[in-house]
Amino acid sequence: MEFSYEVRDSYAEVKADGRLNMVSAPKLREFVTDVIAGGSNRIVVNLENTAFMDSSGLGALIGCLKAARQAGGDLRIAAVQPQVKMVLELTSMDRVLTSYASAEEAFSND
Amino acid sequence: MTRVLASRSFRGLATEDAIESIHNHLDSLWLDAPFVQDMDQMTFTTAVIESASNIVQHAEPVGQDPVELGVDIEVRPTLLQARVSAYHAKPPFGPMEPGIPDEDAESGRGLALIEALVTTVTFERQDGTNTWVLTRSSQD
Repeated sequence: MEFSYEVRDSYAEVKADGRLNMVSAPKLREFVTDVIAGGSNRIVVNLENTAFMDSSGLGALIGCLKAARQAGGDLRIAAVQPQVKMVLELTSMDRVLTSYASAEEAFSND
Repeated sequence: MTRVLASRSFRGLATEDAIESIHNHLDSLWLDAPFVQDMDQMTFTTAVIESASNIVQHAEPVGQDPVELGVDIEVRPTLLQARVSAYHAKPPFGPMEPGIPDEDAESGRGLALIEALVTTVTFERQDGTNTWVLTRSSQD
């Protein structure tokens, strides 16, 4: 899995391309923690190219959400693909991790 | 017993690398079995990876030998079956029943997710090997 980020006007967009599994989950957590430490507390995780997520990956997203909120911000997810959507719904975590069609929309009404 | 239309097997040390290998095996299996619907491929892949990851994360060796992970997957006309095994492993520790963690918990959803994804989950222990057998009846 490859991570990248870009600071936009009102948020930082993190891209996580590949499989978000027990191997990459700790790396996502570390990556987002660094982005928050760099001064961005409004995070959008763009999952457009995240073809797969398991419960470890879900746990990492929840950890990142908590870290962003502890820093006074929030974390939202965007461009969720079918397998990720399925895992979010089956675990009822779609109610906790707010999903938007695109990264641009995630904080557009704040 | 109906005939096997496609299959894959993996056996190796229960490490993180094994998870990526098993996922690659699953991806190539679906290329051999394109008649399996996308939803079945997606759910079964997720269940197998969850089960294998559970072994990598939690299985403890019973003796000197390290825990090995084995996955045998078969595609039959109306059934997907995977045997996910931990060799040289102690019996699983802790609850075998899935719990419902708090909303902000960062772990503990794997077992419930597996149960939601497949039709049956059974557990066998024999000669120091723990095996989870997952089946999913294909959607026709």
